[in-house]
Amino acid sequence: MRIGYYISGAGHIGLILWMFFGGMFNTPPQSFEVTEVSVISGAEFEAMMAGVQTPEVTTDVAMPAPELPAEEVPPTESQPDPTPPPAEPQVTEAPPADPVPQQPEPLPQQAEAEVSDEAPVIAPPPQEEVVLAPNTSDRPVPRPAERVAPEPVAAPEPDTQVADSVTEEVVPDEAAEVVREETEGGAPEEATTRIVTEAMEEPSAAPTTSIRPRTRPARPEPAPVAETPREPAPQQQAQEQPAQQPDRTADAVNDALRQALEGGAASPAAGGQSGPPMTSGERDALRVAVQQCWNVGSLSSEALRTTVVVAVSMTEDGRPQPETLRMLSHDGGSAEAARQAFESARRAIIRCGANGFSLPRDKYDQWRDIEMTFNPENMRIR
Amino acid sequence: MMTRVLTLLAALLVLAMPAAAQTGGPLRIEITEGVIEPLPFANPDFVAENAAAAELARQIARVVSEDLTGTGLFREIPSSAFISQITSFNSPVQFSDWRAINAQALISGAVSVGGDGSVAVKFRLYDVFAGQELGDGLQFNGTQAGWRRIAHKVADAVYSRITGEGGYFDSRVVYVAETGPKDDRRKRLAIMDYDGANVQYLTDSNSIVLAPRFSPTGDRILYTSYESGFPRIYVMDVASVGRRALPTLEGDMSFAPRFAPDGNTVVYSLTTGGNTDIYRMDINSGAATRLTSTPSIETAPSFSPDGSRIVFESDRSGTQQLYIMGANGGEPQRISFGQGRYGTPVWSPRGDLIAFTKQSKGRFHIGVMRTDGSEERLLTASFLDEGPTWSPNGRVIMFTRETQGESGAASLYSVDISGRNLKQIRTEGGASDPAWSPLQR
Repeated sequence: MRIGYYISGAGHIGLILWMFFGGMFNTPPQSFEVTEVSVISGAEFEAMMAGVQTPEVTTDVAMPAPELPAEEVPPTESQPDPTPPPAEPQVTEAPPADPVPQQPEPLPQQAEAEVSDEAPVIAPPPQEEVVLAPNTSDRPVPRPAERVAPEPVAAPEPDTQVADSVTEEVVPDEAAEVVREETEGGAPEEATTRIVTEAMEEPSAAPTTSIRPRTRPARPEPAPVAETPREPAPQQQAQEQPAQQPDRTADAVNDALRQALEGGAASPAAGGQSGPPMTSGERDALRVAVQQCWNVGSLSSEALRTTVVVAVSMTEDGRPQPETLRMLSHDGGSAEAARQAFESARRAIIRCGANGFSLPRDKYDQWRDIEMTFNPENMRIR
Repeated sequence: MMTRVLTLLAALLVLAMPAAAQTGGPLRIEITEGVIEPLPFANPDFVAENAAAAELARQIARVVSEDLTGTGLFREIPSSAFISQITSFNSPVQFSDWRAINAQALISGAVSVGGDGSVAVKFRLYDVFAGQELGDGLQFNGTQAGWRRIAHKVADAVYSRITGEGGYFDSRVVYVAETGPKDDRRKRLAIMDYDGANVQYLTDSNSIVLAPRFSPTGDRILYTSYESGFPRIYVMDVASVGRRALPTLEGDMSFAPRFAPDGNTVVYSLTTGGNTDIYRMDINSGAATRLTSTPSIETAPSFSPDGSRIVFESDRSGTQQLYIMGANGGEPQRISFGQGRYGTPVWSPRGDLIAFTKQSKGRFHIGVMRTDGSEERLLTASFLDEGPTWSPNGRVIMFTRETQGESGAASLYSVDISGRNLKQIRTEGGASDPAWSPLQR
């Protein structure tokens, strides 16, 4: 009785399997073109590309006019510059004539083939070396930007006006309720965070532009671990804790309170300043504004080792008063290097303060006089 | 737990009064980050003070601008952006007009040509944003034929006043001019201005010449010639183009010469009996002293600016590396330890760096390192870069770059020691083995 079920079940299962794996639901394969590919090594690729590369063009510059160099030199010089007389025109010797080809020697007689009964041993074909292609294709690294700045800036769109920050283009719109003044869009100039030399321009799969990670707050140092192999007794711990930890904590708390209270107390008495104190954000805004204009690219190596402290008085609308700019002190270089460093700092303050720094007017007493320390230590080689 | 709460409270208190310590005096901030970018300057055509000076005034201003922009440290603002013009050398400058176009420096110059053909060029340099002159006005007198040198001197003065270091525009370069295919290349010594102008040939191309080197005063040139069949060192007087061979024994090969800072001593390599060592010679008496004595190859010696030490290359360790020894020889100290081979070291005129050629992983580099071998920086990378030479102020390096293949050619390139501003020097035909002169006097 059950034999029928078994036969029927087996038949149905077989039918289902044939439908799935036998190709009933598969569409006939479409014709496609098969292209033989082969994997080549990087060295082979470079060798192949080298053959088709256009040779580097050497500059084809017309020879300068054969004018004689100055025989007379400026009066600041002690002696006239000795210059060689114009060289005699060089007579180029004709290249030696090609050697006359000699009579070719008669070809040697063809040797008789040696016949052997033993089958020759055929060397196995060389094993093809398989080189895995890289998972990621190298992409060309963009040329380094002309400007090096604390934060990287992507290249702006072509024909974009260079501005300190990104500003949208405003075009006349008759339908708009509020008519805005027509302005061109602007964007900061392209910048990188370091000097990229030709030797560094290796293709890389890494992101080419990324914001430098900001300095993370320093983690508190772990408490020094005593080298005692076993834990002290609870009673001993109880005795040591009040003797050590509260001292350090109390010192830190007292120091902080003293600093805060002393500063607050000194304010009106010392300078007669009023208004709330400058916040760190406001100070940072001023610092960032100045550093955007502090160009150290044309400074000498010695000036880049010189820290200068510059004092300036500000007007109430946040503009520096150029006549008040002066160098208070310098450190690390000669007086000449300090002068160069000061001039660079002065340009930065005047340029970026021309439209007024973003400073809180209600705290004018706090920033009426500013002392800026320009320390180029981080800018020497980037 | 209690202590943590106290610490947190104290921290909050301090944060709540961030500038408390600042009150009672000027606001103090520290700037530690800046930007590195070319300094924009304006250089209107110099004022022609008479009709004969019109063309010269324009040409001199252009050469000054090319010198400055060619350093990569300056960017010229095109004249089309100018709001006002300089029409008189002594007129007051409208600084606001130049500030409006972000010109940070302004050059104002004037040219006059005398009846005897003499030329007088004067200029002033202004810090536009400070609204004041940088240094005093300066005047150079010369001849019309030497107008380019006058322009270079103006550019040197501007460069020096802004950067604080000496210029290098009024200098020359001696090099090996190359013509012909790679397998039949003809070489001769040539001399030109640093920017490729005023080329003059010093030798013919009948024999191979190599490695010309200027004397410290720029009036003589050492070079190696195969004129006798063997490499031999010659010294040439630049003014008269007269030359003489340094004394060596018959069959010895001498090459890679370089002057000592005193100008009377030459250090060079001599191959005798199959061994190459470094020697020094009094150029007047011809007395030679052997400085190294090892079975390895020692060559490419270069003096420190104070003349107390010599850097050279040697393969005594098995690979080509850089070593420093005293000016009178002695046990050398190895300074290069990176991967690859190092050669052709040259001491910077400032004395702080050594430029070198490095071959690593199939590529050639020009690099610099401190004199103790630290802070190695590779500035270039190509199929073949070699033979660095320093500008007189130690800021720029010129070298030879050769392209690959049968049609490959040698040409001169320069790069700032920061690795920026890599560019080709204009030369007529192929060029190799440059040597930069000191500033002309």
